[in-house]
Amino acid sequence: MSRRLHPAVAGAQPFQLAERDPDAPLFGSEEGRERLEAILSRYPTRRAALLPLLGYAQELHGWISTGDMEEIAEVLELTPAYVWSVASFYTMYNKHPAGRHMIQVCTNISCHLNGAPRVLEEFLEQTGTVEGETTEDGRFTVLEAECLGACGFATAVQINDAYHENVTPEKVAEILASLDGPESS
Amino acid sequence: MTEGNDLINLIIDGIEIAVEPGTHVIDAAERAGVLIPRYCYHPGIPSRPAQCRVCLVEIEGQPKLQPSCKMTVTEGMVVHTASEEAEDARRAVIELLLVNHPLDCPICDAAGQCMLQDYALETEQLRSRLHEEKLVQGRDRIADDILYFADRCIICTRCVRFMSEVAGDETLIVAQRGDRNVIDTFPGRDLDHPFQGNIVDVCPVGALVHEDFLFKARFWDMDQTASICPGCSTGCNVTIDVKENQIVRVKPRHNPEVNSYWMCDHGRKHLVMSNRGERADVPLIRPDGRLVAADWSEALAWVADRLLEVTGGDAVVSPDSANESLFFLRELLDRLGIGGGSFRVPTGEEATLAGFPKLALRAERAPNTTGAELFGFARVDDPAPSPAGAGLIVLEDPLADHEPEWGGEAAFFLYVGGRLSSAARNAHAVLPVTGFAEMEGSFTNFEGRVQRFHQALRPPGLARPAWMVLSRLIAELDLRRGAETRTETPLEVGQAFAAMAVATPELGGFEWDSIGPKGARLVAAGDAVSADVA
Repeated sequence: MSRRLHPAVAGAQPFQLAERDPDAPLFGSEEGRERLEAILSRYPTRRAALLPLLGYAQELHGWISTGDMEEIAEVLELTPAYVWSVASFYTMYNKHPAGRHMIQVCTNISCHLNGAPRVLEEFLEQTGTVEGETTEDGRFTVLEAECLGACGFATAVQINDAYHENVTPEKVAEILASLDGPESS
Repeated sequence: MTEGNDLINLIIDGIEIAVEPGTHVIDAAERAGVLIPRYCYHPGIPSRPAQCRVCLVEIEGQPKLQPSCKMTVTEGMVVHTASEEAEDARRAVIELLLVNHPLDCPICDAAGQCMLQDYALETEQLRSRLHEEKLVQGRDRIADDILYFADRCIICTRCVRFMSEVAGDETLIVAQRGDRNVIDTFPGRDLDHPFQGNIVDVCPVGALVHEDFLFKARFWDMDQTASICPGCSTGCNVTIDVKENQIVRVKPRHNPEVNSYWMCDHGRKHLVMSNRGERADVPLIRPDGRLVAADWSEALAWVADRLLEVTGGDAVVSPDSANESLFFLRELLDRLGIGGGSFRVPTGEEATLAGFPKLALRAERAPNTTGAELFGFARVDDPAPSPAGAGLIVLEDPLADHEPEWGGEAAFFLYVGGRLSSAARNAHAVLPVTGFAEMEGSFTNFEGRVQRFHQALRPPGLARPAWMVLSRLIAELDLRRGAETRTETPLEVGQAFAAMAVATPELGGFEWDSIGPKGARLVAAGDAVSADVA
């Protein structure tokens, strides 16, 4: 299954192009520099580009390391401490390595009423992990999420940047099967 | 009440007051004698985020309570700081701040001088309404010698804003969000700034503490003395905290002309260490080849007799000595016909405080180089011993780095100081004097500002201030030279200062009691006196 970009996030992140590669340099490559220039061009100040650049680092590496934060601080002429303060504010920036597929199951009220707890349980059971932990092969991290803003399609599940809607426990196996295997990236 | 044309009139809690336009309500209230509680507001930090909400006051005509740290005064404004609405809001703020606070006051360094304790007491809440478990976040090392107790922190961000706005170093930040907010540095990078210790002073609670003060003393067990930091030629105004005759802590004292609310870390450490170590505590004389203890009158008489035999010589002084001591040494040297005299200045790297550039840890690491020069002593790299056969007088230079034989060739070597290094032990007489924290006196800082310091410690044994010792010695000398009456000697520092001021044109207009808390600038010799005495 190809990556699905939900329209709601695609509009906000028009540069969402990078293929995930945990070892790729942020700005050392041609693509990285182009991406940086494109993002900077959208803002009047360099500081304003901080959030999209953190997003880019996560998109590329799957998480944001202290090294990434230092690199971003340097290109934006900020202190690493300031970048850390911003990155730590947002829970959706991963400050620790996550599984290649980060599965976030919404358990807020609409989803909860439509069986989200059972969906979450099913994901945990089928991936063989506990909430907040990553599977040993590095494929899956399963999290309980607050409202994903898709109450009309409960239960909503976000896997990396893609939304899966109207998820029931029965669909979990199919969804997991559609995600890539341990050897590919 | 002042009716100035440019002033704004307002009423705070029924008190009429007129203040400059642009004054904030919290400062106007302070001038009217009303201290509005505050956490995030600090007068030395430029920004006013108005985020702690503890300074909310009622202003007539405004629909909601207003943060008094952010509101500027307007003509005819009527402010109520203690109305029911204002007090309710304050009580709510304190109650929320205590939700996750550990209430570990018995082991908290800030107990007794904690603004959370003070304001919580004022809100008179009998019991907590909290039933939930408290969030526990633990503690962290923010710098080499500074610990952060996250659970005590109220996130006023004074420390963060001191570092970014005053120190000019954006390395301390607020991390995480909501009730998990903590003060933090970048992972793996502690603070490393020569003025970082001030974050402990601005902390209104016990969240930031100096590790070397941790669990050392209760606030109410310490005596506070106004003093001057001897760490460099800036002369920061400080408060010395003493427990059981030991300096346990030093904090900056506000002086807008010198150091604002700040001081450097070098100064703190230097001062805490300054009065440690072995001290000379009894006069020593060498009547027959060996140094033996003597009482003061015996020692002074013996030294005066020896000095009469001396022709010519040299003097070595210290830029750590008080003005008064240096002055009386110059008087003594004049009577002995010894001119010149020299001093050494330890030096180090200079560091300026970006947000208050007048304040710097200066390269000259001594408090009174200007004073030493004022009394005619010359700055040298390494004072040579006086020519063999002549007199040698050393005032307070510890001589610690000199050859053990230094000074041994002199016909008469008088050591007036507090430390007995090998070189100092070559002296024919040792007159023990007090260190600066054990006496009253004055220093003249790099820009010629004369500042007083006060006695914080009991001196060891028989040690006396050098100005007292030297003036008595002068009187003994005068007697032996046939003076009709005994030369008047000062009994206390005010008299010593007066004698010095009369004889020194640059100090012509000053008296001990007229040098206010801001100090007074020297006047150029011959100029009319125009000291900016506060």
